[in-house]
Amino acid sequence: MLLKNDDLLKDKCLSAISQYNVKQFVPVKLDGVAKQTLITPFNDVGNGRFYDEVSKKSFKYDHVRKEASDLQPHPSESAVTDQWRQALQSQLDTYIDEHYAKSGTGVVFARNGVFTICIESHQFQPKNFCNGRWRSEWSVPVGDGKSGAHEMKGKVQSQVHYYEDGNVQLFSEKEPVLKVNVSADCEKTAKEILRVIAEEETKYQNAVQENYANMSDTTFKALRRQLPVTRAKMDWSKKNRNSWTIEN
Amino acid sequence: MGEQQLDCALDLMRRLPPQQCDKNLSDLIDLCPHLVDDLLSTIDQPLKIAADRETGKQYLLCDYNRDGDSYRSPWSNTYDPPLEDGQLPTEKRRKMEIEANAAFESYRDLYFEGGVSSVYFWDLDNGGFAGIVLIKKEGDGAKNITGCWDSIHVIEITERARQAHYKLTSTIMLWLQTNKSASGVMNLGGSLTRQHEMDAPISDQNTHLANMGRMIEDQESKMRLTINEIYFGKTKKVMSDLRSLEKQSEIEKQDEIVREISNAVASRGAN
Repeated sequence: MLLKNDDLLKDKCLSAISQYNVKQFVPVKLDGVAKQTLITPFNDVGNGRFYDEVSKKSFKYDHVRKEASDLQPHPSESAVTDQWRQALQSQLDTYIDEHYAKSGTGVVFARNGVFTICIESHQFQPKNFCNGRWRSEWSVPVGDGKSGAHEMKGKVQSQVHYYEDGNVQLFSEKEPVLKVNVSADCEKTAKEILRVIAEEETKYQNAVQENYANMSDTTFKALRRQLPVTRAKMDWSKKNRNSWTIEN
Repeated sequence: MGEQQLDCALDLMRRLPPQQCDKNLSDLIDLCPHLVDDLLSTIDQPLKIAADRETGKQYLLCDYNRDGDSYRSPWSNTYDPPLEDGQLPTEKRRKMEIEANAAFESYRDLYFEGGVSSVYFWDLDNGGFAGIVLIKKEGDGAKNITGCWDSIHVIEITERARQAHYKLTSTIMLWLQTNKSASGVMNLGGSLTRQHEMDAPISDQNTHLANMGRMIEDQESKMRLTINEIYFGKTKKVMSDLRSLEKQSEIEKQDEIVREISNAVASRGAN
């Protein structure tokens, strides 16, 4: 509409939309599969196809309609990988139920021996003119017979858009690096990993809440007062005009 | 068709991240160069500050004190870079402008305790006139939070005998930013726009300036309350809907206790 060119929309925007979906961890529902999975860089198998770890199926994803089709079997890489993935997924499911009960999806992806936890949670509230999305991703240092203390890198992002007679947006991003103890016991390790993630995400969320409090109590108040120090509104009448002196 | 394109462009600007307003606007102008004038006069951008060539006193820039690539200072009424034939307000409007600038400086001191303000007037084709009141205040960076407030009030005035009609469009932009180890980068910002119209009598005591001043003062105070609610209430609420700090099982346990208590109270009431 902006450029009066529909073909341009179909051709060029498709790649922009697909990049957006992948970056935003857009959730998708597969036919006959109870839990949603996510569209992410970690389950992108090329040719517009992604795969779902839980149902072990790959699917074609329509980025414009946001629909999955053409489900095909997608076996896991190895039995060991699957054992680790399932241990992590079961702990992640518990964590999602506890902290993202309203709208969260969490998936553990295991690809080329690399384990990644992705969490997506969104609220679209057109009635309140508000949208929001939370994303976090954690690269989990397991598999490969690793043990001992390892670094775990994460990225937590949150975004809120308010649009009633205005455009107000919140962007927040943190890239924590944590230490986790890894052992051969996948149940125990998975538990430890999710404990550390929960702790860090709660810490991040508390810090953001604290910023809100400081921004509102300190910064905002110092920018414009609700009332002048005198607690009286300005006297705009002509008789006081002499007091309006131009300072040089 | 041009109007439809402009609507689309404005629609986009309402969705794109306001933190990159400058870049979004210049990208749009690159896409649709013929919309440049409409876009520049409709989209409010964060205010820029310049210093008067003669006195060094700071003033604010907008599309209404711009002629070509030069801007007119409200203090010396001259253009920078200098223009031989730069557009100047009529003597009547300029007199009003001098008074309004002084009045809004004192308003700014009362409410903002600092910052920069500028007022410009111009005549309209329909016989009326219009003014713009600009205020900018930057935060002092306390608690590692940077902040900035921009007020843009455009007011159109039509005179009818001893009455005048005032149409006010106010935009307030508020930017808050911080980068701390615990929270990472946090950027909360954007703008809100509100309109208000009123009729008011004009007399020696109720000059245009007094009517305008009161109208803007009330509007700005109302909008401050709204901003407080949206920035620190609504967006914060959405954030806690995305992830709850408390465990769902704890929340359910508490709900259960509340239910038990209210049941107990109810049964006692029945006895």
